[in-house]
Amino acid sequence: MPNVIERGRGQKERLLKSQLAVRAFLMAGALALLVYPWLAPNSYLRYVGVAVMMYAALSTSWNLIGGFTGYVSLGHGAFFGLGAYGTGLGIVRWDLPHFVAFFAAAVGVFVFALVIGPAAVRVRGSSFVIVSIALVAMLSLVAQEWRGLTGGSLGLRVPPLAESLSRTENHLLFYNLFAVVLALALFTWWFIDRSRFGAGLKAIREDEDKAEALGVPTTAYKVAIYAISAGFTAFGGGLYAMWFRSLDPIFIFSIIIGVNMVLMALLGGVRHLFGPLLGALIIAPSAEYFLTQYGETQLHIVMSGAVLAVVVLFMPEGIIPAVKKLVARFQPQAASISELSQADMRHADDGPRDGPPDAVSATGSGKDEP
Amino acid sequence: MSGTLLLQGLVLGLLAGGVYALMASGLTLYFGVMRVVMVAHPAFVFLAAYVTYFIHTATGVDPLLTAVVTAPAFFVVGMAVHRLMVSRLAPENMAMMSVLLTFALALLIEGGLGVAATGSFRSINVEYANSSYELLGVRWPYDKLIGLGIAALTFALLFAVLRATRFGQALRATIQHPTAAKLVGVNTERITAMGFGLGLATAAVAGAVISIIEPFFPASHWAYIGKLMAIIVVGGLGSVQGAVVAALGLGMIEGVLQVSANPTVAAMVFYGFLFLTLLVRPQGLMGGRLAERY
Repeated sequence: MPNVIERGRGQKERLLKSQLAVRAFLMAGALALLVYPWLAPNSYLRYVGVAVMMYAALSTSWNLIGGFTGYVSLGHGAFFGLGAYGTGLGIVRWDLPHFVAFFAAAVGVFVFALVIGPAAVRVRGSSFVIVSIALVAMLSLVAQEWRGLTGGSLGLRVPPLAESLSRTENHLLFYNLFAVVLALALFTWWFIDRSRFGAGLKAIREDEDKAEALGVPTTAYKVAIYAISAGFTAFGGGLYAMWFRSLDPIFIFSIIIGVNMVLMALLGGVRHLFGPLLGALIIAPSAEYFLTQYGETQLHIVMSGAVLAVVVLFMPEGIIPAVKKLVARFQPQAASISELSQADMRHADDGPRDGPPDAVSATGSGKDEP
Repeated sequence: MSGTLLLQGLVLGLLAGGVYALMASGLTLYFGVMRVVMVAHPAFVFLAAYVTYFIHTATGVDPLLTAVVTAPAFFVVGMAVHRLMVSRLAPENMAMMSVLLTFALALLIEGGLGVAATGSFRSINVEYANSSYELLGVRWPYDKLIGLGIAALTFALLFAVLRATRFGQALRATIQHPTAAKLVGVNTERITAMGFGLGLATAAVAGAVISIIEPFFPASHWAYIGKLMAIIVVGGLGSVQGAVVAALGLGMIEGVLQVSANPTVAAMVFYGFLFLTLLVRPQGLMGGRLAERY
C-alpha cells in the first residue's frame, strides 16, 4: 500500500508537469499566432488572419463584462460602431491624424459608456439584454439617418494610414495592431481576475443581492467594467475603420457583430482568460469558410444559428472546462476521502505529526487536522 | 401640418398598434410561464407568413383561413421548443441563456427561409385588402382594420381560455407561483409547455395577418425585435394588459411622427420610451415587482 505522503508528492509533481505542459502549449500558440501572417500563402488567408485577430480582441473585450459579471450584452456592436465611426469621422471630417482620431474615439466611447452605464446596468437579466439590443438598433438608425455626417448608406471612406503601404503590408500591420489590442485586453482581464475589483464583479455574477448586502459597491463596479469593456471594444472598432476603410451603418451597427463576440466567448469559455481567443480561432475562420463556400445562399446564417444553439444547449460552460474535465477523467483520480480505506486513515494518523503540511491536505483529509 | 393628416397618422398608428399588441401577447405569455424573453418570436411570425404565402399560392385558400391549420401546428412546435430546448437550460442562468438560444432559433429560421424561399420580397394580394373605408375624413385601410379585428378576436379568445377553462386556471396558477401550483396538483411542466405552445400559436395568427398587410422577406423580423422588446418592457414584463396599452400607445405616437416627422424619428420613439421606462419606472406600466428583477 503506497504511503499517503508519497502519493501526495506524486500528485504535486503531476500538477507541476501539467502546468508546464499548459505553459509550453500557450507559448507555442502565441508564437504560431505571431508568425502566422508571414507564413500565410496568400492575401486572402492573411485577411482571414486579421479578421480572427480582430474578433479575438473584440470577444476578449466583451468578456471583461460578460465573463466577470455574467451580464450578457448582445449590443457591443454599438461600441464597436462608435469606435469605428468616431475614428473614421475624426479623420475624414475633422482632419485629425489617424491615431489621434483613434484614441479620441476610444476615450469618447469610454466616457459615453460611463454616462449611459448607470441606466444600462440598472436592470438585470433579460432586461439588460433587451437594453443592449435596443442600444445598437438605436445607433444604427441614427447613423443611417444622419447622412450629412456619416454619409448614410453611401458609406464613409476612410483614407489609408499611409499611401505607400501595399495590401500585404497593410494586412501585416493591422494583424499586429489587433494583436496589441488583444494582448492589452487579455492583460486587463488577467489583472482584474486577481484583484479585489474582480472578486467584487464575480460576487455580482454569483448573487448580486448578496454581494450588495456584503458591501460590494455593485453599481459603481458594474458601470466601471461596462466602460472598460466598451473602451476596448472601441479600440477594435477604430482599428477596423482604418483597416477596412469603408463604413456602412447597417453592417457596422449590426447586432450580428455583438452576437459573434458572445458566441466566441461562450464557445471558448467565459470564465477563462483564453476562452474568447479560442472561440475566435474556431468561429471566425469557419464563418469565412462558409461565406466563401456558400456565400450565395443564406446557409452561413443557418450555420451560425446552429453553432450558437449547440453551444448554449450542450456546453454553456465552453470548450476549456469541457477539455479540462476530459483530461481529468483520463488522469489518475485525485485522492479523496472516499478512496481512502480505514487502514489508510489510521496509517496517516500514526505518521509524524510534523510532516509536510500539504501532504495531509492533498489527501483531502486536511479537515481532520486540529 | 393639417389636422386631417395628423388624424390619419393617429389612425394608421392605432391600427399598427393592434398588430404590435397581437405580436407582443405571445412574448408576454413566454415571459409569464418561463421568465424567457423570446427573441425568435418575430422570426416565427414571419415563418408563419411564409407558410401562409405558400399555402395561399398553392391552393388559393384565403390567407387568414390558413391560421386554422398553422396555429395548431405552431402550438405543437412551441411545445417541442419548450420540451427539447428551453426546459433543458440550467435554471441559474436561464434569463441570459434563453435569450441566446432563442436568438439562435431566429437565425436558424431566417437562414432557413433564405435558403428555402430566397431573399426576395413576397406579398399576398387579396381583393378585400386593397381598398379603404372613409370615416372622419381619413382613410381606414381594410387590411389593417382586419388586422386590428383579428388581434381583438385573438385577445378575446386568449382571455376566455385564461379565465374560463381549467387549463387557463392552471396556467395562471403556474405563472403566479409554480411551486404552489405544483402543490395543489398542477402538472406545471406540461402546463408550461402548453403556455409556450399557446404563445407560438399567436405567432401563427400574427403571421397570417402580416402576410396581407405588408411585403416581407426573410430578414423582416429584425425590424420588429426592438419594437416588441420595447413594448413589453414599457408595458411591464409579463403583463398582457400592459403590453396592449403600450402597443397601442407607442403605435399611435409612431403613426403621428411618421406623418409629421420621418420614419427614423418614428422608430426611435420605441427606444426612447424603453430607456425612459427603465430610468423612471423599471417595472413598466403594469408590471409587478417581478418585472424589475428579470
